Amino acid sequence: MLSAVLEQTLNGLMAGSVYVLVALGMVLIYGVMHVLNFAHGVLLMVGAYVCHFFFVRLTGSYPLSILLSAAVLALLGIALERAVFRPLQGNLRNQVIASLGLILVFENLVIALWGPNALQMKVAATAALVPLGEMRFSVQHLLVIAVTLAVVLVLFSFLKFSKFGTAIRATSQDRMAAMVVGIPVERVDWITFGLGTALAALGGALIGPLFIVFPQMGDAPMVKGLAGILLGGMGSVPGAVIGGFIIGIAESVSTVFLPTDYRDSVAFIVMVLILLVWPRGIFGVSVRGED
Amino acid sequence: MARIVLGIFLVLLSLMPAMAEKQPYLLHVLILCFLYAIPAVGLNLMLGYAGLVSLGHMAFAGVGAYTAAVLMVDGHWDFWLALLAGVLAAGVAGAAIGAICLRFRTHFFMIVTLAFGLMLYSVMNNWDEVTRGAAGFPGIPRPAPLGGFSFGPLPNFYYLALAAALAAFAVQWIVVRSDFGRVLAALRQDERLAQAKGVNTMLYKAAVFALGSAIAGLGGVLHVSFLRVAAPATFNLAESINAVLIVIVGGAGSLAGPALGALVFVGLPEYLRAAAEWRLVVFGVILVLIVLFAPQGLAGFVKRARA
Repeated sequence: MLSAVLEQTLNGLMAGSVYVLVALGMVLIYGVMHVLNFAHGVLLMVGAYVCHFFFVRLTGSYPLSILLSAAVLALLGIALERAVFRPLQGNLRNQVIASLGLILVFENLVIALWGPNALQMKVAATAALVPLGEMRFSVQHLLVIAVTLAVVLVLFSFLKFSKFGTAIRATSQDRMAAMVVGIPVERVDWITFGLGTALAALGGALIGPLFIVFPQMGDAPMVKGLAGILLGGMGSVPGAVIGGFIIGIAESVSTVFLPTDYRDSVAFIVMVLILLVWPRGIFGVSVRGED
Repeated sequence: MARIVLGIFLVLLSLMPAMAEKQPYLLHVLILCFLYAIPAVGLNLMLGYAGLVSLGHMAFAGVGAYTAAVLMVDGHWDFWLALLAGVLAAGVAGAAIGAICLRFRTHFFMIVTLAFGLMLYSVMNNWDEVTRGAAGFPGIPRPAPLGGFSFGPLPNFYYLALAAALAAFAVQWIVVRSDFGRVLAALRQDERLAQAKGVNTMLYKAAVFALGSAIAGLGGVLHVSFLRVAAPATFNLAESINAVLIVIVGGAGSLAGPALGALVFVGLPEYLRAAAEWRLVVFGVILVLIVLFAPQGLAGFVKRARA
């Protein structure tokens, strides 16, 4: 029992890493632009397909493909911010509906271009198994966790110590005041959006080799990333990290005690319960402008 | 003018089985239009009139559909009683879940409706003993004959679907014109002001959530009776998003919106014979463009053309 729990905890850390990457992007965008982008999971999926394309068709180098996929998705995110979300600024309902439209566009565009069947993405270098006590995990498994932790660290330092990171934090706290002190909030908007979609692409590129690449692969990470954000406190960046990991571990460990069919429901139940009993999440963020 | 157009439209629709005797395919597509329009009417009341964006609407259609399916197949209930029970079950689920969701506003309301939609879908997909799980619930009968009129053949089922869609639109018409509908419009425009005027906003919002869900349940029961199988995929997140799409494309908050939206969503791609995957790409783009440039939807275009 204990070893099963431990094994599932490590599995949960891996799944949670992906939720953290999705949650970070969504929470940054939400903080700066007050946009809840339901299409974020679909962008993760597009990132996985783009990575697959670069890896299998063009370069054959997995690290290079990850970077290229993140770059392509950053550009896509910047384009979406310009074309769709900026014109809808301040209209919360229409931003959400537009993001639902984007889900349809990208999911079906990928089906039209690559077909509805799942793709395999075998990375020989990271397929090896590492013994960890009695259990064995693939290198890819550990890579997902390591890369995510590194990204979290870099992102935190960037937000905390760099001038532009400070501008991002200032804009999230009070957009008007940020404008008053001369922060170029529109530049903060598009850079944050591009950063967020690049993080989603990273998530997709990292789980591609572990599972399969398929058109609906982003749906679950989006919902669970969202659950992580709520758990951590809507708008809190550290909260998104902690929340994402907790959701990942909770649902993995739940499979030891509950039928696996209901694994996904753990995140949904956490979402509703958190909102009902603890609406500000563990980091107690007050939510601005929710009216 | 509008009444004449509506009258001609209705006469054409009711004569369709006679005119399209040799084209069962056309009837099939029109039936699907009706079956998509019915839940859209329910969502239009919530989204278009009361301003409640639910991202789990089709899950309530599923509650109705599975309730009726279990009662008919396992309980050997009569179709009409099971239909009633399905509509009631969807309405009760809407009232209960709506009461929780409505404690939240804006983004949080959408997230909670999304979460409940996914939970209900998960139950349909996994509770194998009752819902038969992911493989679907087979053997759902077509409606029992009523006064010697059998609903088995396609043209006859067409009339049932048409009647149900007309009933849903009639309910929408009555609600929008009633005091209840005017309160809903007031809530959408300024909830605080409505509250200050002494309106119990929670009660009204829960009522429209329940009503919208019950109408969705009607669509769900007829849908599975038409297909003769209930599958969880008919009521998943993608279908809930499609319902939002139909309402927005047709024109949220307009009486004819759900009909226009469903006609375009189901009918146009069949007519154009576009490849299946491209049709949703096109619809996604249309949805984004409508949100950006024509928030009144197709009904808004019609209105402007007439003005």
